[in-house]
Amino acid sequence: MIAALGLLVGIVLGVMFQPDVPLGLEPYLPIAVVAALDAVFGGLRAYLDGIFDDKVFVVSFVSNVVIAAAIVYLGDKLGVGGQLSTGVIVVLGIRIFSNVAAIRRHLFHA
Amino acid sequence: MPDTAAPPNDRVNTPLLTLITQQSLDEDYRHVADRKALEPGAQRRTSGIAAIVVAVFGVLVTVAALQTQQGEDVRSASRTTLITQIDEGRANLSELQRRIVRLRELNVGLQSHRDEVTSDQLGAEARVQRLAASTGFGAVTGPGVKITVDDNPDGTLVRDRDLRPAVNGLWQAGAEAIAVNGNRLTARSAIRNSGIAIRVNNRSLSPPYVITAIGNENTLQANLMQTTSGLVFRNTVESLGFPWSMDNADQLFLPAAPPRIARLRSAEAGTAEQNQNQHRKEAPQ
Repeated sequence: MIAALGLLVGIVLGVMFQPDVPLGLEPYLPIAVVAALDAVFGGLRAYLDGIFDDKVFVVSFVSNVVIAAAIVYLGDKLGVGGQLSTGVIVVLGIRIFSNVAAIRRHLFHA
Repeated sequence: MPDTAAPPNDRVNTPLLTLITQQSLDEDYRHVADRKALEPGAQRRTSGIAAIVVAVFGVLVTVAALQTQQGEDVRSASRTTLITQIDEGRANLSELQRRIVRLRELNVGLQSHRDEVTSDQLGAEARVQRLAASTGFGAVTGPGVKITVDDNPDGTLVRDRDLRPAVNGLWQAGAEAIAVNGNRLTARSAIRNSGIAIRVNNRSLSPPYVITAIGNENTLQANLMQTTSGLVFRNTVESLGFPWSMDNADQLFLPAAPPRIARLRSAEAGTAEQNQNQHRKEAPQ
């Protein structure tokens, strides 16, 4: 409940202030969002499994975002940024799908 | 890597996609849960940090969405600009193509004009050559008559007035070009004495005097003797006892008169009326 409230507050804050992303970080924002999405769905599944933990969630969120952005940054420096971001998106996408499937099993018992 | 539920061999043999699907949930949740189960005393913290992190996630999603939307605006704006530029370029191109067509037509007109001018020029050049030949300022060759006169051995010298009738007679007899000792006669040439020497075109001659005339070699001699000047010349030469001869020549070469005597000093081109107007215009200055 508090988490849902936090999400709402975050969206409202983002719309209100519309912070400018530095030009250098702009290419890594979408990949960071996808990584964060994976961490959030993982947290939700863990919550429904009854094994949710604050610390693990925070650490997985931060490390997901940082590592995803770092991999794409490294790829950009090596000239394979596009391919590496595709790889990251594929892996994160598969994780998100399987997590969402687990959540669905919990919610609908199907 | 911490130990996983599956033995290492299984992990190595598992296909990558299957592995990703199996481990989609962070194992750390399970580990922490297991540890907590062993230590029932550990207190459970409130989910305040989780809420903050979720709020951060919300901000991230919002900002990314807004950024993408703005980027889309910029892209579509630049697309519109590009379309406008393309249209302008196309209009410019068709304008330039029309200009090419116009210039081509102009070029064709100018070329035909140039051809006209060139043919005019060729005609004028041919006319200049003909005029130069007939006025004495161009070299000519052809058949004609050669008259040679020398001083009398007893000391009587040939004078200008003795040669003049021969030249006048040759002109009347139909000569086309005349030279005296290689000095071509023009409208501005005179045969006159300067002291004892005869001068033609300001050049002193020395005897014997050779008058070469180009004309019809069949009729020139006969015609000459039918003119008054020709008779005067023959009478003068014979009465004064100058040795002389007159022969036909198949090939005579007459050089051009020096161009310096072609210069007009006072005469101006144009009719008298035109020149008067010209002077009236220049007078006030």
